[in-house]
Amino acid sequence: MISRSLATVNPCSMCMPMGSVLVFRGIEGCMPLFHGSQGCSTYMRLYLAHHFREPVDIASTALSEKGAVYGGSANLMQGLKNVIKGYNPKVIGIATTCLAETIGDDVPQIVREFQAQEPLAKDVIIIPVSTPSYAASHEVGYRVALKGLVQTLARKSKPNGRINMLVGSIISPADVRFLRRLFDDWGLEYILMPDISETFDATLSQDLPLIPKGGTPLEDIRDCANSKATLTIGGWVQEPGAGDYLEKEFRVPHVALPLPISLEFTDRLAANLEELTGLSMPESYERERGRLLDSMVDAHKILADVKTAVYGDTEMVLGITRIMMELGMKPQIVATGAANPAFAENAAEIAPGSKVSMGADFSQIAEEAASRDIELLVGPFTGRGIARRENIPLLRVGLPNHDRYGASHQLFLGYEGSMNLVEGMANALLESREWVAT
Amino acid sequence: MSIVNIFEGREGHIAQKGGQSIPLACSSDSLAGAVSQRACVYSGARVVLNPITDALHLVHGPIGCASYTWDIRGSTSSGPDLYRNSFSTDMKELDVIFGGEKKLAASLRELAEKYHPPAIFVYSTCIVGIIGDDLTSICKKACLELGIPVLPVKSEGFRGSKNEGYKAACNALAELIGIRDYRPKGPSINLLGEYNVAGDLSFVKPFFEEMGLEVVATFTGDSRVEEIMRAQSAKLNLVQCSGSMTYLAKKMEEKYGIPYRRISFFGLHDMSAALRTAAEFFGSAAMKEKAEEIIRREMERVSPEIEAYRSRVAGKKAAIYMGGAAKAVSLVKAFQELEMEVVIIGTQTGNREDYEKIAYIIKEGTVIIDDANPLELKELLIRQNADLLVAGVKERFLAYKMGIAFCDFNHDRTISFEGYTGMVNFAREVSITINSPVWQLPVKRECCVGSGSQLASIQGVNDDIKEPCHS
Repeated sequence: MISRSLATVNPCSMCMPMGSVLVFRGIEGCMPLFHGSQGCSTYMRLYLAHHFREPVDIASTALSEKGAVYGGSANLMQGLKNVIKGYNPKVIGIATTCLAETIGDDVPQIVREFQAQEPLAKDVIIIPVSTPSYAASHEVGYRVALKGLVQTLARKSKPNGRINMLVGSIISPADVRFLRRLFDDWGLEYILMPDISETFDATLSQDLPLIPKGGTPLEDIRDCANSKATLTIGGWVQEPGAGDYLEKEFRVPHVALPLPISLEFTDRLAANLEELTGLSMPESYERERGRLLDSMVDAHKILADVKTAVYGDTEMVLGITRIMMELGMKPQIVATGAANPAFAENAAEIAPGSKVSMGADFSQIAEEAASRDIELLVGPFTGRGIARRENIPLLRVGLPNHDRYGASHQLFLGYEGSMNLVEGMANALLESREWVAT
Repeated sequence: MSIVNIFEGREGHIAQKGGQSIPLACSSDSLAGAVSQRACVYSGARVVLNPITDALHLVHGPIGCASYTWDIRGSTSSGPDLYRNSFSTDMKELDVIFGGEKKLAASLRELAEKYHPPAIFVYSTCIVGIIGDDLTSICKKACLELGIPVLPVKSEGFRGSKNEGYKAACNALAELIGIRDYRPKGPSINLLGEYNVAGDLSFVKPFFEEMGLEVVATFTGDSRVEEIMRAQSAKLNLVQCSGSMTYLAKKMEEKYGIPYRRISFFGLHDMSAALRTAAEFFGSAAMKEKAEEIIRREMERVSPEIEAYRSRVAGKKAAIYMGGAAKAVSLVKAFQELEMEVVIIGTQTGNREDYEKIAYIIKEGTVIIDDANPLELKELLIRQNADLLVAGVKERFLAYKMGIAFCDFNHDRTISFEGYTGMVNFAREVSITINSPVWQLPVKRECCVGSGSQLASIQGVNDDIKEPCHS
């Protein structure tokens, strides 16, 4: 199931440091710093700016030939100092790049030295994570950064009665806002992290802060060792991460859930919350659920038997595949760029008979698509080449989405988000066929 | 004291004409921790070579470098589209430990067989430089085996700035030039540093053809490997993006005796000057007359439209932040044509000579900045009261969040700005963003609690006299 081809043609994944930024930007007052050559930071800033349509500042230690030969310690220290002076952050998240990892810089040690000798560093928390591009994809970078954050900050004190809501995969700011709204309406006491709902989707205001407002407060991250449980939402097929660490280290019970996309997976989140809290889901969400069902019934004929290709991040793909099955659609290709066997297993179970691939690139997806009569593509905009060449409608979902507006405002979680997905798929088909909705 | 003072060590890179000494400090490594807008050596090489539409561009490195540069340039093609794919050896941990040479050699074979490209460019990335894969010898072997040029592009990210990447790209191009014999039908030119962003070429090339000139090769917008291979047969090189292509122009002058002239296709004056430069070089009275005829005709055609936009933007203040200096200089002149004032001008990779030229053409009070970062840009935009920023995507959202109009003048611009028609497009872009009503919308809404608004008074009336109010 893993790509047999030697070269990757049109990648369906990004690199590890990219994932770390999505975590660091979700922490209050946090500034990301890449330890490596200047290009990595610039490219990822560009990539994320395109997607979120927001200014994205990522500092770089700008390693040059000298650094590559003699080690990057001096650059890292100077970089940290300048980030503190320029941005006045509460937290600096350091992600390593290929270069820093390959020359063998001991980043945690350099950070300790910096903290010991630099008065400016006194009140700044520094979180180094190891994220070489060659090791894994952006999804792993995300998980490693979230774990690193909790490892650095979580401290046992007294029980807080709250629930840790870890956002286990990359979702949109609108999705995060939805989760907060759901938990608030439910009357839950919770800690949600990382929280990119404001930091990657800031309002237009009169002043432009150095670091975007919002993000999970530091006190909350420290306090997550004292919560009564952890739910990792979108951590279903991921390797052990922050939630497992909290369970092992502080005995906070952990449940990893799929992203609440589809009726079943949203019901599963609701069931877990009811079990954990003894509070039943608010009535307004029962009505949302009813509306989702109603929209599924409305659209069931146009979507019946539609052959689809779903690709992108693992958790997102599994949720979308699940709702396709609920609608009587026929997912033919279920693919991710990540090398994740748990994904492959679950995908095969959700959509028997589909071609499941991990470590996939778009040349493979295109080949499969050509032989399987695909009628609808669902995934990031990077599939647009196939859409154009094969004349297949593409519903853009997830990161990256560089060629359409509104990536930050796409809500695909929960009953409401699932309904958006149902209607989005149906309308994409209709537009391409120029039918009229019946 | 510098005009903005955020990072120690940056003082020499910022100056105000009439104040600090110019030239500035430049051509140095970016400051660690300062969020430079620059990219890397690989990026420089990639943007120069990528527009060759039928070549296969293979990135030897981990996946990120290929992901983030996939189809990144808005260079369009009139034919082949192989260049719009992203090829990578996708190096993994084991490749880093044991070396990636075998994987590279096998990938080259596999890709050549599947895509039949006329040439392959192989880019090295940071770790390739560290682990020491011998790109040159692998490419040489592949070249013999596959029977097509396989060109190593030595672009390890950390070995300098974009400028070094431009050089690496030019070196690869130099190996292609001269492979084919060719005899142009008449007077002939190459266009260097023209990347056909947003289809620019279609607003420029026809004028040269109208003058009776054959364009042998364009470096590299909408080009084919075949035309690059016979570029040595042209009689004159016209160099637009001087930062990326002067190096190649000099090489071609040395090796093939082709002289070069710097020109720009952006702005009415520069476009006309480019046509005159070519006519002047070839010297025939007929060609000169043809150039003048084109200039007269085109100016007459676009003047009314430009005039209409000019009246809507005259007197506004523009800030320019570009990758290279050539575009920045052209922009200063274009803004003069629109009667706008340039208050900030900066580049990522300008050199001493560039900044001297810039300092010469700008007015007193204009700030020049080398290798800027968002914090400095933000402060300068406020201090200099800019109405408009012309830059790339990274800077777009900074401007927007500050309530400043923005015009994209980078790879991913989708509107052609070159030639006479391009200048009309540019004038329109500048005008629609500066004059948009969105900037006038109230950012803060007045709170009406307890203010006795209409609705409150209507309710009040209803409550009191129990009859509908028709006022």
